[in-house]
Order: sequence, then C-alpha cells, then structure tokens
Amino acid sequence: MKKWVYVILVLLVCAVFLKSCVHRDVPPVEVVNNIVHNDVESVSFPAHAKTVLVDGVEYLQSQAPVGKFGGQLRASTIGEGPKTFNPFNSKDNTSSTMSEIMYDGLLTTCPEDGEPIPKLAKSFEINGLDYIIHLRRGVKWSDGKEITADDVVFTWQNIIFDGFGNTSTRDSLVIDGKLPTVRKIDKYTVKFTLTKPFAPFVRMLSTPIAPKHVFEPAVKKGKDYFYTFYSTNTNPKEFVTSGAFKLKEYVPAQRVVYERNPNYYIVNTNNEKLPYLDKLIYLIVGDLNNEVLKFEGGEVDVITLQGANVARFKERELHSDYKIYNLGPNTGTMFLTMNLNDRQNEEGEFYVEPVKQKWFRDLNFRLACDYAVDRKNMVLNIANGLGEPLFTAESLNSIFLNKDLKPYDRDIEKSKEYLKKSGFYWDEKGKLFDKNNNRVEFDLYTNAGNTEREAIGVMVKQDLEDLGMKVNFKPVEFNTLVNKLVNTLDWDMVIMGLTGSPLEPNGGKNVWLSDGTLHMFNQRLEKDAKSPRLDWETKLDEVYIKGALETDFDSRKKYYDEYQKIAYEQKPFIYIYSPIIITAIRTKYKNIFPSGLAGITYNLEEIYEE
Amino acid sequence: MQIFLYILKRILQSIPLLIIVSIISFFIIRLSPVDPLAELKLNPSVSKETLQKETERLGLDKPIIVQYGKWAKSFVQGDLGVTSNGEQVSVKLKERIPNTLLLAVIVIFLTWVVGVPLGVAAALKWKSPLDRVLTVLTSIGMAIPSFFFAVLLLIFAVKTGWFPIGGLTSSNFAEMTFGRKILDLAHHLVLPVTVLFTISLAGLQRQMRANLLDVLDSDYVKFAKAKGLSEFKVVYKHALRNAINPMITLLGFEFAGLLSGAALTEYVFQYPGLGRLILEAVLRSDINLVMASLMMGAIMLILGNLIADILLIITDPRIRVKGGAS
Repeated sequence: MKKWVYVILVLLVCAVFLKSCVHRDVPPVEVVNNIVHNDVESVSFPAHAKTVLVDGVEYLQSQAPVGKFGGQLRASTIGEGPKTFNPFNSKDNTSSTMSEIMYDGLLTTCPEDGEPIPKLAKSFEINGLDYIIHLRRGVKWSDGKEITADDVVFTWQNIIFDGFGNTSTRDSLVIDGKLPTVRKIDKYTVKFTLTKPFAPFVRMLSTPIAPKHVFEPAVKKGKDYFYTFYSTNTNPKEFVTSGAFKLKEYVPAQRVVYERNPNYYIVNTNNEKLPYLDKLIYLIVGDLNNEVLKFEGGEVDVITLQGANVARFKERELHSDYKIYNLGPNTGTMFLTMNLNDRQNEEGEFYVEPVKQKWFRDLNFRLACDYAVDRKNMVLNIANGLGEPLFTAESLNSIFLNKDLKPYDRDIEKSKEYLKKSGFYWDEKGKLFDKNNNRVEFDLYTNAGNTEREAIGVMVKQDLEDLGMKVNFKPVEFNTLVNKLVNTLDWDMVIMGLTGSPLEPNGGKNVWLSDGTLHMFNQRLEKDAKSPRLDWETKLDEVYIKGALETDFDSRKKYYDEYQKIAYEQKPFIYIYSPIIITAIRTKYKNIFPSGLAGITYNLEEIYEE
Repeated sequence: MQIFLYILKRILQSIPLLIIVSIISFFIIRLSPVDPLAELKLNPSVSKETLQKETERLGLDKPIIVQYGKWAKSFVQGDLGVTSNGEQVSVKLKERIPNTLLLAVIVIFLTWVVGVPLGVAAALKWKSPLDRVLTVLTSIGMAIPSFFFAVLLLIFAVKTGWFPIGGLTSSNFAEMTFGRKILDLAHHLVLPVTVLFTISLAGLQRQMRANLLDVLDSDYVKFAKAKGLSEFKVVYKHALRNAINPMITLLGFEFAGLLSGAALTEYVFQYPGLGRLILEAVLRSDINLVMASLMMGAIMLILGNLIADILLIITDPRIRVKGGAS
C-alpha cells in the first residue's frame, strides 16, 4: 500500500517537471516572426549636427530633442575588460571601445547613410591628393587647454606615422614604402597629402586625436614606454580627454566608470553643453549568460540579445521597462570554405591530397556544395529565425553590397547535375565517387566551443551527405584551427566566420588579395609568394587594388561590385548567413536612434534619462 | 633551535620540488596547441608586420628551452614578468589577491567556527536525532556540485531581487560612506560564501565527528570516565585535544587552497578574484601570468604543509619526542 503512494508521488513529480519542459520547448514562432522586420528603416534621425558660434567658440550643435541633465547609463562588456585606455595601443574591441569613448576623431560616420561627417573637425575638403581639415576654434581638452592643429599634426606624425602603439593604421597607409605627409597650415588648419589616391583614408580620419601636451613626454621616452602609457593602472585623474566622457574609476574585473567631460564641444539646441548623462558605467561580465541575468535583474540598461533569449525577452516586452530593437544583419559573415591549395610543404608533401585537390579546385564541385547547403533551414533552426541567408562577400548592411547578386534556394537536383558534369557518379547505395573511382570523403573542421558553428557544421554535413559525400565533421580547439588555417594548411573544408566593415571593403584585403595573411582558401606562405595565381585570383587582386585607389563612391562601387561578383560565381567561400543584431534598452532612455551601421548607443552625448 | 633546523630542512627540500613543478607546467602550457596570437591572426585588419612584432615581443620565435631559461632567471630575481598585454604580472595579481583572500578567509573562518562544534555535538550525541539530521544535511552538502549550487543561487538572486547578481561591489561603491561600503560588500558576499561554506562545512563536520568518535572509543577515555572524571573534563580536556590533530593537517591544505580554491564559484558569481584571472590567462596561454599563479599555488601548498607540521609539533608532544630522537 505504502509503496504505491511513493510510486504515485514520484510519477506526479515527473509529470510536473515534464509539463514545464514541454511548455518551454515550444518555440514561440509568432514572436520571432514579429521581430524579423527591421526597425532601422523606420527610424527618423534628427538633422545633422551643425556648427554654432557661442562666445567665440565654434561648438557642434546637436539637433536632437533637448533632454534632461543627470542620470546614468549602465552597459556591459563581456570578457576581461579593457587592457589599455590608450586608444593608440588597443588591439581588441573592448579596449578600443573603452578608449575611444574618451577620444573623438576629426570625422565620424553618419549613422544614417554611412557618409563621413565632421566631428572634432569643423569641416573638411578633399582636393585630389590633399585632405584639408578645418578645426573648431576655442574647443578644449578636459583640462582646459585648447585643441589645435598642433595636436592633430602631433597625433598623426609623431604617434601614428612614427609607429607608436598599434601600427595597423600606419601599415595600411604605406604605399610604395612612402607615408602620407601631414602639415600644419595655421592654428586651425591641417593638410594631409597622400602619395597616391587611397579611398579608405577618409575613414581613417576618425582616428582619435591625442593631446600633445600630455602625450609628447610619453612619446619622447620611446616605444616601450608608450606601450605602458595610459594603461589600466593609470590614475583616472591623469586622463586628458576630448570625448563626451572621461574615466572616473576602473575596478579590474568589475567595472569601468566614466563621468561627463565638462568641456565637451557638443551642445544642444539651447546651447547647453552635453552630454546629458552624469555617468556612464560599463560592467565587466565574464560571459553572455551572466550579462543576460544582469539585464534581467536590472543591473544593466542595454544589452545585445542572442538566440533563444530574444524570444524570451520579446514575449515580456509589453509588460516591461525595456524596448527591443532589431538593427538588421550584422557585419559578420559565416561561411564554408574549401582548401584550393595545390602546393607542397617543405618536405615535398602536398598540403591537400592530390585527389581532393581535384575536387576542391573544380568549380562544379564547389557549386554543387553551394546548392546543397540549406541556408534557410539553418537560419530557422540555428539562429532561431534571427538571421538572413547570405550569398555575397560583403555583409548585408554594407553600403557597397552588390544588390544584383540574387539569393536562391537549396536545389539538390542542380547540385547533382553539376557533379555529373565533372564526371562524378553514384554507386547503387548512393555513395559518391569521382571519375577516377575515388570515394568522395573529406574532413570538415570548425572551432569547438562555438555552439553556433558546431550546429552549422552538423547541418552542412547532413546537407552534403544528401549528395552521397562522406563528411567527417571535426570540431577542434580554436587555436588549433587557426594554426591549420594560417600555418600548416592541412585541412579540407572549414566553417569559419569573419567580421567586416559595412563602410570600407578595403579592410578585407588580407582575405582577398592573393598574398593576404587570411587568404584562407588558397593561403600562400612566405615561400610560395611567387606561386601561380588562379585566373580569378588575379582578377580579384586587380579590382581590389583599383577599388582602393578610386576616391568617389560610384567608381569604387563598380570595382567592389565586380569583386563580389567573382566571389559569387567562383565560390571560394560558400556564405551561409548573417545573424541579426537585436538590442534591448530600457525605455527611460530617450534620444535613441538605432542604426544598422552604428548600433544603438553611438550618440552617447545625446542620450538622456527621463 | 631544533625547530629552526627542521624548518630550514623543509625549505631546502622544497626547492627541487618547485623546479620540477615549474618545468612541467611551463612545457605543458607551451606544448599545448594554444596560440596566444590566434585572435590577432584571424583579424583581417591586423597586418603581417604587427604579427611579426607581437611574436618577437612575446619571445615566441625562440625555442622553448630558451623561453624557459629566460622565465626562470627573472623569476628567481623576483620579477614575474609582464602579461601578454604588457601589464606587470605582479600588479595584476595584487589587484585580485585581496578579493580572493577576503572570500577564502571568511569561508574558512565560518566553516571552522560552525563545523568543529557541530562535529563535536554530533559525536557526543551519537545516533541521536540531532546526529542523524546533521548527517543528512552534510550528505546533501557533499553531494551538491558547487557549480550547480552557485547557478541555482544566482537564479534565486535574479528572481527575488534580494541579492546582487554577482560581482563584489555596486557601481556607486566609490561614493559610499565607510559603513555603507561594508554593508555593500557583505551583501555581495552572501551568495558566494553560502556556496563555499555549504560545501566545505560538510567535509569538516564529518571529519571532526569521526575523529572524536574514534577517540571517545579509545581505552584512555574509558579509563578517565571510569576514574570518575566529569564528562566535561573528559571530552574537552582529553578527548578533544587528541581528536583535533588530524584537523590541523587539514588546515594546512586549506591554506594552500586560500588563493586558488574557489575558481568555479568565482566564475559563476563573476567574483573579481584570482580564479577568474587565471582561467582567462590559461585560455590565452598568457605564460607569465599562468606560471606565476601555478608557482604561487605550489608555494602555498608547501607553506601550508609546513605550517601544519609546525602546529602539530606544538600541539602533539609525541611528534616532538620522535623528532628529537631522529
């Protein structure tokens, strides 16, 4: 008798658990469909900021609605937090974000259309190879010194061109061994002269400007000292900044706190100095889950949501104090790529087995794989519907996107036709063989631990096995994978992702130029630098280099359209999808103008708390 | 005098041990397929020149033996080197050590203050309802994985809003008065301390109970009772002193765990301690930082054992006699 009571009790408990599981596992499809429409297109941005003269100072006047002063905004950053507050030393995203809050560049990007617009500069003109920058009169560093042409010349000449800190900007400006020159015309005018036309230069003018009177002593002490200058151990009081906020406190592994810069040069339409917020706080959180918990618990005010969390938060949005914005596809590209390498390593062994080389270098084989990949299915199942199938080398929000390259659906029949064209055949069990009777079997790698890529790998494997191929899917440790991709080159197929820029395709030159450091699909090591190029690789080199030399948008677009077309036709990368960025922010914050190009908190000085 | 000789001998003995530990750790880290520059290599905007410079700066272009030699030389001179971001390792460690110590000391203090009396009580009231209840509770404490328990408490904090979700201080900590600061710290510490306390309490209470039961069963205790000594005197003067000896050895191990014992819990609660720092360093193969923390762990272990042994010599005359004889 007693035994029965226990059994029933246990069953009841199980039933209750199961019930709650069932409830959780049904994907709230309507919710996801609701959110897939893009919020960015319906945003009405305020007019461009303009320069106004108040008491002899040329302020930048924001045209956004006037708000209330005071309050704070709490954001978060995942990982270890900033490694330096020196904008010229940063090598990772967090450090760049954290230091660039404090330092404005001469120009910035219009969040609406991606055009370069003046910020710290009053205006700029481009005459052929000359870039003339006019500075604002009377605007000040946070310590009260005026920002002048000397600071600009010092930043570009003595820090960037002389190779202090992170030299990426400098390296990409070296043309035929020569750097541009920068010259002070008068106290408020600076002239840059390039040796050759180079379109990406105008974007580089958004590089922060350093206060000469603070940075000069550090530069004089040499590069090693500069590397430790304005590090995370620097006393916050020593920071002299030009940005809307200035460092107040850095607590390792916990938070970065900024306070408003009282000398900021942007004013509202009542000519009151911005920013509105007194404090800006970045909490340093270890992982995504903790960030979500903190948002839920009200310790963070703005967050980027992913995967299943989107549906969960969207469901509750109506009765909550936050609003969710869909910012459209991000700049990331997720792709499947094959190793087209036909060279040998130092021991005379082929990086890729000759049999496999024949498949991978065969366009029909690549097209067959491309048509077999079911992108829509992956968007639905892996990205929870929050993604867009991708077919182009430029990301979907890029201003250079070639819109003539049309998406298509999975077509397994077409795949089989392509394979037949190259002499592949199937045995009675449906296994695929090439014309030399080799079984089509290869390894597919991705980095273990990235659940999204692992899931894509499993689905790609299934899709390709529908063609009778045998795919050995092997997630490996991230570092091992990178080593394979850039050093040992012993891989067949890989699923990877890269981030790009929606504004400047030239950033991808390491990927697309045939001697680039990330030319993964046909990576050339130093010793192979002179090896023969494929026809379309030569063509890619040509359009890519020409694209950077043109300066006006339309003629550049022509070249970049061409490069995307080659990538679309030759399929060195089989693109899969771009995730959509979903951001949530508390409704008490006003002056929020979400932008697919710049995100949601790019206008920190205009945001206010109601 | 003898005790100093003993300490000196122990310290000398630990030197080869430390060398072996350092060699094994260094080679395992360097031979693992972790590439400190992997992130940079996959960043399209990083140039070849930058990669080359980074390789040279981190000394990755030299053979492992040379790298080890360089590290060992500076370590002996007391220089822990710089992290892969160019910050001083010693500064990094100094930032975190107080936080971890704070957590560990509170937990150890609480477990000893609560665990030892509970163990004594359970042993004295052997097989009574109190003993049985404590056994069940400590079984649960021992069985529950710290990671899981920490996650549960974190969810509890989110749902009720009674406790902050991880971290050590609130964002407006700098502006608080001293009293408020203490309260704020305590508020943040409740959950991580609960987790660690529950886990280590169970072990300690059971150990104490078993030791005391053993001793209570021995002949001299029976003799003392038969002699008519009061229960209080028998237990607290004779039995307890003998039962506490194994606990001192345990304390030595706890000392070693002071700085490294709570990595998982620290991670879940986003506690700004050493555990999180070291975990992140291992993932990045930040050799100097990882080596510094491993060496610190080894030294703490050796020190902990040494302290325990010395304490034993003081509390247990038998060991003193043996030591003197040898």
